Amino acid sequence: MVPLYCNQCVCGPDLFKVEVRDGVALRMTPNHDLEGIHPAGGRVCVKAYGLVQKTYNPNRLTQPLKRTNPKKGKEHDPGFVPISWDEALDLVAEKLNAIRAKGLRDEEGYPRVAATFGGGGTPTRYMGTFPAFLSAWGVLDQGYGSGQGAKCFHSEHLYGEFWHRAFTVVVDSLNCDYVINFGSNHEASGGVSGVWRQADARSRGLKRVQVEPHLSVTGALSGEWVPIKPKTDAAFLYGLIHRILLERDWQAVCDVRFLKEDTNSPYLVGPHGYFMRDTVSGKPLIWDTAAQCAKPYDASISDAALTGSYCVSGEEHGPDGERWQHTEIQAQPSFERLREHMRKYTPEWAAAECDVPVETIRRVADEFVAHARVGATIEIDGQTLPHRPVGVMLGKGVNNGWGGYQAMWGRTLLASLVGALEVPGGTMGTKVRLNRPADNRLKSATHGEDGFMHYPFNSTLKADWQSKPHIRNAYKMLVPLAANSPWSAALGPAHLPWLFQHKAPAPWPRQTLPEMWICYRTNPAISSWNAPEVAKRIAEFPFMLAFGYTLDESNWMADVILPEASDLESWQLSRIGGTGSAEQFWHHQGWALRQPAVAPAGDCKDMSDIATELAKRTGLLREYNEAINRGSAAMALRGKDYDYALDPDIAHDSKSIWNAVAKAASHEVSAGADVKDLDWFSEHGFMIRPFSQLEWYLYPRMKSTGLRFELPYQERIQRHGAQLERRLHEVGIQWWDPQLKEYEALPEYLRFPDIWEHYATELGRDPAEFPLWALTARSMQYAWGANVGLPLIREVAQNVAGHDGVIINRATAKRLGIADGDPIVLESASGTTRGRATLREGIRPDTVLLIGQFDHWATPVAKDFGVASLNSLTDLAVSLTDATGSGADIMRVSVKKAPR
Amino acid sequence: MKRYGMIVDLNRCVGCQTCTIACKHSNDTPPGVQWRRVLDVEQGQYPDVERLFLVTGCQHCAEPSCVPVCPTGATRQREDGLVTMNYDLCIGCASCAVACPYQARTIVHEQHGYYADTLTKQEEKTAHTDRLGVANKCTFCIERIDTAHTQGLTPGVDPDVTPACAVSCITQAIRFGDFADPNSTVSQLARDERSFQMHAELGNDPQIKYLYEVPQATPGRGPDAIDVSDERLSDPANPLVGQRQTFWDYRAAMNFILGGMAAGLMLCAWWAAQLQLIEVQAHRQINLAAAAVMAIGLFFVFLKIGRKLRFLFVLLRPQSSWMTRETWCVAALYPAIAISFVWPQAVWMHCIALAAAGFLYCQGRILQASKGIPAWRVARMPMMLICTGIAEGIGLLALLTAQYTTQNTLPMYLCIAGALFALLNAVFWWQYVRQARANGIGPLARADLIKATPIVHGLAHLAPLGLYALALAKPETMHALTAIAGLCAVAGGAWWKFVVITRACHQQGFALPMVPQRGSGQRAAPARYALN
Repeated sequence: MVPLYCNQCVCGPDLFKVEVRDGVALRMTPNHDLEGIHPAGGRVCVKAYGLVQKTYNPNRLTQPLKRTNPKKGKEHDPGFVPISWDEALDLVAEKLNAIRAKGLRDEEGYPRVAATFGGGGTPTRYMGTFPAFLSAWGVLDQGYGSGQGAKCFHSEHLYGEFWHRAFTVVVDSLNCDYVINFGSNHEASGGVSGVWRQADARSRGLKRVQVEPHLSVTGALSGEWVPIKPKTDAAFLYGLIHRILLERDWQAVCDVRFLKEDTNSPYLVGPHGYFMRDTVSGKPLIWDTAAQCAKPYDASISDAALTGSYCVSGEEHGPDGERWQHTEIQAQPSFERLREHMRKYTPEWAAAECDVPVETIRRVADEFVAHARVGATIEIDGQTLPHRPVGVMLGKGVNNGWGGYQAMWGRTLLASLVGALEVPGGTMGTKVRLNRPADNRLKSATHGEDGFMHYPFNSTLKADWQSKPHIRNAYKMLVPLAANSPWSAALGPAHLPWLFQHKAPAPWPRQTLPEMWICYRTNPAISSWNAPEVAKRIAEFPFMLAFGYTLDESNWMADVILPEASDLESWQLSRIGGTGSAEQFWHHQGWALRQPAVAPAGDCKDMSDIATELAKRTGLLREYNEAINRGSAAMALRGKDYDYALDPDIAHDSKSIWNAVAKAASHEVSAGADVKDLDWFSEHGFMIRPFSQLEWYLYPRMKSTGLRFELPYQERIQRHGAQLERRLHEVGIQWWDPQLKEYEALPEYLRFPDIWEHYATELGRDPAEFPLWALTARSMQYAWGANVGLPLIREVAQNVAGHDGVIINRATAKRLGIADGDPIVLESASGTTRGRATLREGIRPDTVLLIGQFDHWATPVAKDFGVASLNSLTDLAVSLTDATGSGADIMRVSVKKAPR
Repeated sequence: MKRYGMIVDLNRCVGCQTCTIACKHSNDTPPGVQWRRVLDVEQGQYPDVERLFLVTGCQHCAEPSCVPVCPTGATRQREDGLVTMNYDLCIGCASCAVACPYQARTIVHEQHGYYADTLTKQEEKTAHTDRLGVANKCTFCIERIDTAHTQGLTPGVDPDVTPACAVSCITQAIRFGDFADPNSTVSQLARDERSFQMHAELGNDPQIKYLYEVPQATPGRGPDAIDVSDERLSDPANPLVGQRQTFWDYRAAMNFILGGMAAGLMLCAWWAAQLQLIEVQAHRQINLAAAAVMAIGLFFVFLKIGRKLRFLFVLLRPQSSWMTRETWCVAALYPAIAISFVWPQAVWMHCIALAAAGFLYCQGRILQASKGIPAWRVARMPMMLICTGIAEGIGLLALLTAQYTTQNTLPMYLCIAGALFALLNAVFWWQYVRQARANGIGPLARADLIKATPIVHGLAHLAPLGLYALALAKPETMHALTAIAGLCAVAGGAWWKFVVITRACHQQGFALPMVPQRGSGQRAAPARYALN
């Protein structure tokens, strides 16, 4: 039994063992050594069990391939011929060397080399030391999306990190009693830890209300399913907030202390909509009702006013350093402004908007506050913390694209109203990707402006604003919230380069093609919005280097395909434990190993060895080795009190590199007391140390650092919006104006469904042609795994409804003359897809559901599925892109029976 | 004494298929075979809908209906409750498969890999040729359990000796353990929580118990009318609905058809001989002809079984298997016929008749013992098959009468007897169809029965009845009319057996006597304002 990890999805790594006999991997089991350690008892999900078949898939590419047909496109057979590794690596290196000789950026300033990896950072858990090669290379455009970033939980990633260091947001299900879940298909996407913890929580009595247009797997396991009209989730949230703030006695049901001390609710807001500030210190003011005067937020305040209007003097700080001096004017606490803001969003209004009974909205709000237990405490590892067992979850389709900001704000606000943010039982984050340090979200909460956490906005000030795209998705230019971490490129508007390559708005700098595009563990020609269009754009790239497993729709366009050793065939160490995506909440942290349980198939090569070869052949060996030593591949091999660094001047094989990492990792885990080599890890699989539950929650850190949550009032967002508007207008860009309207201090609800309903007119079509909503949902069996070529996965996935057809409400189908299993064609204003009908009751009559991402035409096995895909119906469009730079997995469609 | 079993919690299972695939890994099951299967069930009608996931598989029943029907002893029940399979003894007759009301059994006849005919390296190493052509089902990972003792481990506690589905389940929805141990987790859950056994009314005492309630959060509730409506139970997309069994096809039907009519013919010939309506010589010839017809039927069965070379193993379980007993009847019948030619004593003729009667009765009991097929297991089934066999025998004899006599005596007797049996069979069929719902036969099978009824009544009952009556009224046409009537009776009898065995042969399906109260609208869990 050989221990390994699975990190096919973002919720890992989780650990398993594979049984090997005579060099052949036979079977997989959970790693029971982790019972009581791993949050899901050392178990892995269905997808991991596909890995053995994935290893022996007869359709695997096991030799480097070279394209012989210069014509690229779906309709052109690439004419791949096998070549030797030497020839393949020389070919790639030659190309890279030629590029390097010309300069890393082209005449327009764009990087000449671009790279796209699959979502969630999971490919880095398989690409060995390849990140060190990229680091050695230097400038790179990682802004071509493939379904990650902009197509992900996008507003959550950006606003979640901004508000509470929550790149992903979950509830503390261990201690939670009541969850309102807007379309998060957590039981399919929450990883084994999420699913395990939710099951425990359910058995304990947690009640979940699932608000979504179709009855997902998660809805199935919820006490209540509320079928809501697509994209109106923010209205539901606003209705709940109205109920709490304006219909209930808010002082009785809210956590008033939390609002006063831990949020910006008491900050006074001036007539221009910015905080009233002390003219000397520039600090926002709070009205102290005891002292009957305004004081800076960090002064000693006996009783901060949350409501009312107060006569104060001070100044407002507007955009671009503008100052408005005020003497004895009326200013209101932001909470007062909030209540006024929410006044129009009555439950009746929300009910009409969401197509949900008004009593449901009122009851859910009442249940939420009733379960919040304001005032309760709980002891965690010897420390007393607030216990607020209520949470709100948002799904991907809810929080990406238009409406995402409003939904995110509504959700986080709802948590703050009852003090249920980052405390046991409440809504909380898991990790950071935009803030630093990357491996400790609590430490990333440092002092910023006005008593809030620091946030690394991309500057919108005239002097510092990035006025020209530095990569093709221009995130620094368009999205201040995307920050500038190694993850930011993927979190910018990463679908726009595909659009702009074909048709850029005016004005916009000419978008050049990357001279080399590297594609690893991703298939943008399937997984992007308007995937067929993206396939055409890929075909325009002059040189594509793909790391391939089987042929697929993207590497169909490759010039060279390099076959990597698979998940069971190569070396890598990864961090485990601590806190991580979905509900990876551990009481331990440490490192786990992925190792060659079996020899690589054919000529497949360990990614680390490929990276070393490329470094050697591009003359970057020293830089590459130093990058590994700095920690580009895993962790720094050289530290304050240790040095396991590689000799930078010689090439090291994969095993030697990971042996050094093993020593550094074990040094870190054991504080130098118990340094282990790779052989030890090979036998034991993992090494851990304790991790306090207190480190799950940000709230203690906020208190000890004297920080407030930047809610409800979004002064900084508003200021950045105003500044960005000026900057863009200064360079003549007006086409981003709709997005700029989103930068509101208190976000207004727009009729978000209208955006998609009206989109057809942009393409010269009549919206009435497309009467239905098309949505997608997570398939646990397929998501992230690049496993559509595995018949074993197909077999078990088909036990879950929707894997063989488009889910349509039975009554709707009847009206359209469609029977179960009938071939159907779905059409949107921008695309079509074909499949079969699956008739169900658990979906709104105005909605159809297309699970997963299919419509393959090159991937062996999958190309014969005949399963429809939403990605063939959605479109790439600026008008469908929100201010954070994301669109959404939703489209208006027609459905017709197709001839058999 | 141990009693191994499982607890499945409907409020925990998320239908992720991890148990299914982990089972496939652990047990090397071939493509399409899932010993642990999880159904995606939807109930209600928008906007009042519920969805749930239902773990299914062999229930290792305390009173397993698959064990007594096994003609070889390949399927047995151990003292610890496990229902086991001996692949080396099984002939692949599928008696167990049709006897199981939980659709737990499969038979794969040919080896295939997931990628068509080429096996991968892993598939080659994990192939089990001994499982081809024989019945397969969940073993509760018996090999693991059997190592527990030597390792000093406890099944249900230690993962290495606990079934793969339970230890891979990512929600702990599946728990395994010893129900005989009051301190085991499964016993505690069964004691402390409310649970149901599926198809408890069938008396198998299945050892998977389903939890459906969470105190304070999710009450349990019984099914709504719509969930058990004919419309829903006729929906082929509803995973609860049993589909037509495919284990016994036309080949199995041929044995019931040809064997039944042949046995009936032998009985009628014996009766005619007793009344001295036919000569001994004719009697022997008729027996020979009937034996040939029966042999064809038996040959069809031979063609159907998975392991043909082991067919003699069918004789091994006379203590419980009606199929074994049927074969012993055959084993007595043919030698008796042979002897009757060389040693023409009346005793052999009696023996032949007795064996034929036994054969016919066994056939009835075989079908009735198929507890997994509601249309087969009705109490009246043996009587229906026997009476049809006799009606067919009368019909066949009527067809052959011209060979042996020009007189009207025999045809007259046949007319009277044939008419009586046609009437009797008409009543039986009418009752069978009328009481189908009450007998638990689902709407799909009922529809097949109703669809077949005009032909059955017309061909097997009305036509013979009318023709026999006419023949009695018009003696000059007696030979011709009785022959036609006989033909109709034979065709009608064959038709209903064919329909029942290959058309109205829907499996029991799955049932949810209780479900968690959750979903939308009317089905939602009750409002709650605190969790204490």
